[in-house]
Amino acid sequence: MMSADLKKILLVDDNQLFLKILSQAFKKSGIECLTAESGREALDLLKTVTPDAILSDYEMPEMNGIEFRQHLMEDVELNNIPFVFLTHVTDKKLMIEGLKLEAIDYVTKDTPVNVIVSKLNNLLYAVHKQQEQSKQELKKAAEALNVRSVPNKVPEIRGFEINFWHKSYQDIPGGDFIDFIQVNERYSFIVLGDIMGKRWKAWFFTFSFLSYVRAAIRFGILDHDYSVSSILKKVNNVICLDDILKDILSSLSLLMIDNQTQEISYSGAGDLPLLHYESKTAKFKKISSDGLLLGLFSDGNYTEKNVHLEKDDQLFIFTDGMIDFSDVTGKKSDYNFFAEQLEPYVNKKYSFDDIKTNLFKPAIATRVDDCSIINIYKTS
Amino acid sequence: MIKIIKDEINHLLIEITVTEANLDNSDLFKSQVTQLLDRHKKNLIIDLNTVDYIDSSFLGALVAILKHAIAMKLEVILVGLKKDVNDLLMLIRLDKVFKIYTNYEDALTQL
Repeated sequence: MMSADLKKILLVDDNQLFLKILSQAFKKSGIECLTAESGREALDLLKTVTPDAILSDYEMPEMNGIEFRQHLMEDVELNNIPFVFLTHVTDKKLMIEGLKLEAIDYVTKDTPVNVIVSKLNNLLYAVHKQQEQSKQELKKAAEALNVRSVPNKVPEIRGFEINFWHKSYQDIPGGDFIDFIQVNERYSFIVLGDIMGKRWKAWFFTFSFLSYVRAAIRFGILDHDYSVSSILKKVNNVICLDDILKDILSSLSLLMIDNQTQEISYSGAGDLPLLHYESKTAKFKKISSDGLLLGLFSDGNYTEKNVHLEKDDQLFIFTDGMIDFSDVTGKKSDYNFFAEQLEPYVNKKYSFDDIKTNLFKPAIATRVDDCSIINIYKTS
Repeated sequence: MIKIIKDEINHLLIEITVTEANLDNSDLFKSQVTQLLDRHKKNLIIDLNTVDYIDSSFLGALVAILKHAIAMKLEVILVGLKKDVNDLLMLIRLDKVFKIYTNYEDALTQL
């Protein structure tokens, strides 16, 4: 019935025994349960955690359920969390008062625990469905406007094979963006960025960043400027001046492939070092850039490097989601661990598709952020 | 979210009290620390010794705090970073943006 994501609810009741019984029942059905013994305690908890739903008692000392709900309604961050009243009272006046406060439902406390759990389960499922629908509509609207933060095909460049993999966190579009821009017969640009932040808010900003990057590349070409660091400088300058974007930061890896010389130039802004697989030594080499995150300071120290690939060499460009993972001890970021995991697959001559299937996709459950990786393979 | 450990003449020492610094607490952190800067108008030393994992939203909040402090001509110093957190900051060059020291005592020599 439920989606695979672990759902989290907040139970608020001054009766400790009831909290214990109910939270155990929720845990058994796979729902993580946070508890608070008063409205005040719940409000404190909500400063750091956002549950998927709140189930609150009505009769509590100091702050009753209605007052608690009123506090939530005044907070734009909290008033959208589905709210259910849990009460001994089947008072019609109270129900009407609660409904005015957009409480989704009432559950009386004499309802069997398993019924309360399934009611909440159904509610979470309905909310999830609703979110899915809204998400689809937004995606459709974005597609209709031809704004896409991830391309649907890879460029064809003589001497190179380019592939990529992108997975948004929990399937909600996020801050990663990818673009391939072939400006003319000779030059192609590869763009990988990551807006700091997550989910929808970050996603919306990807379009503004991408527009600036695309414009800087196009204007650069018109001026015969084929320098990736100069393009990054231009993008950064304009972002630092943009009133809306100046507080939004983004990493960016910008690469340009020269089809004629078969060389690659690279400039980065707060991005992770690229991994260059040297076929000759069968080892990875890190390629680091100097530039600071876009939007940080107007002088971001953007420099560029030439990357020379021999036949069968590969280049991996990726966002921090690829190096973040969670295990029993918690969440971690470990760049070297990611490189160590990838190396054997590259050594065994796995294709990028096989690496996706065998390494990236099975790890989705341990991911904690959007993941994006671009692979450039030198074929001749 | 944060605890004020020391309130000295030229600086405040605060400690982050969460182990996972992420999207769920980054906005609160940003507003609490920005208010502290506005109220105390002092250099800030942030101790991250409890933080095991930091995500990009929280890094964004840290940078926003730094920018706020720079506009007030104040410094933000990070101390007590665990290896993973320190490695991540270095990988994305935030070590060039923040002053980072092993501990509070080392940071004091720079103020």
